[in-house]
Amino acid sequence: MSEPDNPRWLDDVGDELRREIPVRAAWRAQLLDQVASARRPSLDDEISDFPPEPLHRAPGRRIVLSPLAGIAAALTFAAVGAGAAFLVLSSRSAGGDRNIAGASASPSTTTGTAVVSSSASAERETVRFELAAPTASHVALVGSFNEWNPVATPLQRDPSTGTWIVSLRLPPGRHVYAFVVDGDVTADPAAPRAADDDFGSANSVVLVSGRTS
Amino acid sequence: MRVVRTVACALLVALLARGREAGAQDQPDRTLPAQLSAATRATLERIIDSARVAGLPIDPLYSKVREGVFRSADEPRVIAAVQRLGRDLGDARSALGDSARAEEIAAGANALRAGLKPADLSRLREARKRGTDHPLTVALVVLADLATRGVPPALAAASVNELVSRNVPDGSLMSFRQNVERDLLGGRSPASALDARTRSMIDEVERRRP
Repeated sequence: MSEPDNPRWLDDVGDELRREIPVRAAWRAQLLDQVASARRPSLDDEISDFPPEPLHRAPGRRIVLSPLAGIAAALTFAAVGAGAAFLVLSSRSAGGDRNIAGASASPSTTTGTAVVSSSASAERETVRFELAAPTASHVALVGSFNEWNPVATPLQRDPSTGTWIVSLRLPPGRHVYAFVVDGDVTADPAAPRAADDDFGSANSVVLVSGRTS
Repeated sequence: MRVVRTVACALLVALLARGREAGAQDQPDRTLPAQLSAATRATLERIIDSARVAGLPIDPLYSKVREGVFRSADEPRVIAAVQRLGRDLGDARSALGDSARAEEIAAGANALRAGLKPADLSRLREARKRGTDHPLTVALVVLADLATRGVPPALAAASVNELVSRNVPDGSLMSFRQNVERDLLGGRSPASALDARTRSMIDEVERRRP
C-alpha cells in the first residue's frame, strides 16, 4: 500500500482499515465457537463440484428483439447521436461570430450593431444584434425576419456592460429591422438606415450574403 | 428501453422545434394579419397579386403590411405604404434590369424612396464592371443610407458610382458608409465628407491592387 506513487492519505486510510476493532471478549469467544462448529466442506464435496459451474449458466435477463424492433432501436440510437451532434454544432456556430464583407459590421465603440458571421451552414448566417441601453428594462427586436412580432425576439442584457444582445440565424437577403426599447421603436444607431419611414420612424438594414468566407 | 424511448422522443421534439423555427425564418409568412378588416385585406391582396404577376418580389410588401400592424398604423396608411412600395419596386426593377435579384430590387426601391432617381440606379448598373455579375445590393443600401443622412442624392450617387466602377469590394463600401457617417456626426459638411472619403477609398483600392 505504501508504494511511492500512493498519496499519503491513501496509506492513512489503509492503516485505519487494518486496525482491529475493539469488541467485548465474551462476544468474541461466542463468535469463534459458532465459526468452529459450522460444517466445513469435505474433500468429496469439493471434488463433486469440480469442474465448477460454467458462468453462462448463471441466472440472468435475456432480451429478445424482433428484427423490426432491432432496426428501430438502431435508428433510435443513430438519431440520438446525430441529434446530439447537431445541437452541439449549431450551438457552437451561434457563438462564433466574426465580421464579413457585405455585412453591416460596426466598430465596437458604437452603441448598437448587427454583426454577421459565417456559420456551419452556407445557407444561413448567424447575426448578432447588440444595443447599448444600460437603463432600459426590456429590449426586443422586430423586423422582416420575425414578422414584426415584438414578443418573438427579446434581447438578453449583459449585466457587466449594459448591452442587450441576441443572435439569430438568418437566411440570405436584405432584412429590415428595428429595436423596441421599453415600448419605443428605434433604429439601430450603428447600421445602415432604410429610408422607408412610412409609419413614423426609420428602420435599419442588415444584409446577409449567404456565402461563407 | 423506456429511457431510450423517452430520450428519443425528447430529442425528436427538440429537432422539430428547431426545424420549425428555421423554416419560419426561411419562408416568410405570406398571409395578411387577421387584425385588418376584410375590405383592407382584399385591397392589399389585389396590390400584392399585381406585383406577383409583374414578377416583383412580394415579401417586402407582406413585411410592410406587418410593420404597419405592429406600429398600429391605421388601415388607409398601411394601404398607401404598400401601394407606394409596389410602385418603387416596379421602378427599381425597370432601372436595374430584368435580371436584378429580389434583394437588389428591394434595396433599389429603398434608394428611390430616399431620393435617388431611377436614372441613378441605371447608371450604377452600368458602372458595374462589364462581365461581372456581382450584386449591387450593398451599393444600393449605402446609397439609400447616405441620402437618408442628408447627403444630396446626386452627390451620393456620383461617389458610389465611382467606387463601384473601380470594383471596390462590398466590405469596403460598408466601411466607406461608416466613415462618412462618422464625419457627418463630427460636423463635417456632406460634400466635404463624401469627397474626402471617396478619394481615400480609391487611393486604398489602388494601393492594394497588384
